[in-house]
Amino acid sequence: MDTIRLENLGFNYGDGWIFRHLSLTVPAGDFAAVIGANGVGKSTLLRMVARILAPTEGKVFLYGTEVSHFRDWGRLGYVPQNPARRQRSFPISVEEVVQLGRWDGRGLFHRFDRQDREAVEATLARFELRDLRHRKVGELSGGQQQRVFLARAMVNDPELLLLDEPATGIDADAKEALYRMLADLNGRGKTIVMVSHDLEMAARYAKTAICLDDGGLCFFGPIREGLHHRHKHGYFFGGSRMG
Amino acid sequence: MEIFWLDFMQRAWLAGFFMAVLCPVIGCFLVLRHQSMIGDGLGHIAFAGVAGGALLGFQPVLSAAAATVLGALLIEKVRAKMRDYSDLILALFFYAGMGLAVVFTSLNRGGGVSLSSVLFGSLMTISTLDLYIVGALGLFVIAFVALLYRPLQYLAFDEVSARVAGLPTVSLNLWLSVLTALTVALSMRIVGILLVAAMMVVPVACSLLVARSFSGTLLGAVCFGLFSVAAGMFLSYYANLAPGGTIVLTGVACFLLCLALRLARGAR
Repeated sequence: MDTIRLENLGFNYGDGWIFRHLSLTVPAGDFAAVIGANGVGKSTLLRMVARILAPTEGKVFLYGTEVSHFRDWGRLGYVPQNPARRQRSFPISVEEVVQLGRWDGRGLFHRFDRQDREAVEATLARFELRDLRHRKVGELSGGQQQRVFLARAMVNDPELLLLDEPATGIDADAKEALYRMLADLNGRGKTIVMVSHDLEMAARYAKTAICLDDGGLCFFGPIREGLHHRHKHGYFFGGSRMG
Repeated sequence: MEIFWLDFMQRAWLAGFFMAVLCPVIGCFLVLRHQSMIGDGLGHIAFAGVAGGALLGFQPVLSAAAATVLGALLIEKVRAKMRDYSDLILALFFYAGMGLAVVFTSLNRGGGVSLSSVLFGSLMTISTLDLYIVGALGLFVIAFVALLYRPLQYLAFDEVSARVAGLPTVSLNLWLSVLTALTVALSMRIVGILLVAAMMVVPVACSLLVARSFSGTLLGAVCFGLFSVAAGMFLSYYANLAPGGTIVLTGVACFLLCLALRLARGAR
């Protein structure tokens, strides 16, 4: 079954098209990396899938439903570019951040019950956050913070995980651990779509490349073929001009 | 201890404690969204509402409430479009409010309502009706926050993810704006704009220095608010000082003490 379907998608911030005529389908169980140089619209694409931005033209479908009519947000987990880095002093504990994830798709008046408490406990244990539960998120290392946001996205056990540059600002070991964790989740059947600057890591762990350049979608397919395509055509890939 | 038995003091204590809970509870969400000055700014807009109401012959509290609610909604609408300029947007609206107030006042050659009686109330002159108004407002705000605590927390911490989670972030923001506006408009006549605006910010600032979680910050802010009101009322009564100002200064002293303790702890 198709998880995400993009039909003739285009986005314009008002001063020119970021991309146009972008169509592709991400099947269930895929691990897709959205790659390309800075400014080609990688995060913009992900934000349109998450309904944060509305497309200028074209349509986004989630599980067959046009995204503006999609209501089943519990099926989707979203990891933004690290919010704790933007608000380092924000007074919120690790446990509170993970608890917030239980509101995904449940509406305003959801009451936090025993089931929610059990899900939060299990997620804290799974992501090795139990010892950090009372720590302020802004005081953790970049890698630990990213684990907290991944835990928040996963606390509902969603089918689809969207991640916006999850490895930015974290050290090499934490990055490796994060990608391994994502590969493990993908192995358990989760569909993952991730914006990434790290071509090496994406090539090692992702299955599919969604590659954007100044002209829009320049490659969509198995990531190893994408690497071959890169060498052949020499387009921007992973933040630098490759030859 | 006549401070507890005198009729007007009993009303002052009750109103003070209502404000000590109501203002930090709503202020917590404002301060964490970098809107600390909104209470003060809405006071300026209320000023325009009072002056405009006096000019057109409307009841001043109603015209102040209408102006602040309208102003708060407009601020929120513009903020949603220009998120990087939150402080600039607040400043523009506040100066526009002050400008309108001055123009309306100059146009109102017949005199009319005393602006100071509407804008600068005092804890010591509270009537039983005022107490009911503050009490009802306080209960409404606390019920709103209790019912929507986590969605509001989500909104304050990470508005984008809250939207992806399917929460109606636009409506939540508008409701928070309306409640802030009503708190300012209805309370300022009773306890004074200084106390309302400061109590939305100062106890939260104290709590931010000691709390490690969101719930801790909220509870801490209410505790600092209650302490500031209690200590400030005692001081103002026995030293014959203005109660609103004394309560605010007590809160600021708490903040400085917490800051000193934190710096001392960090130095060790």
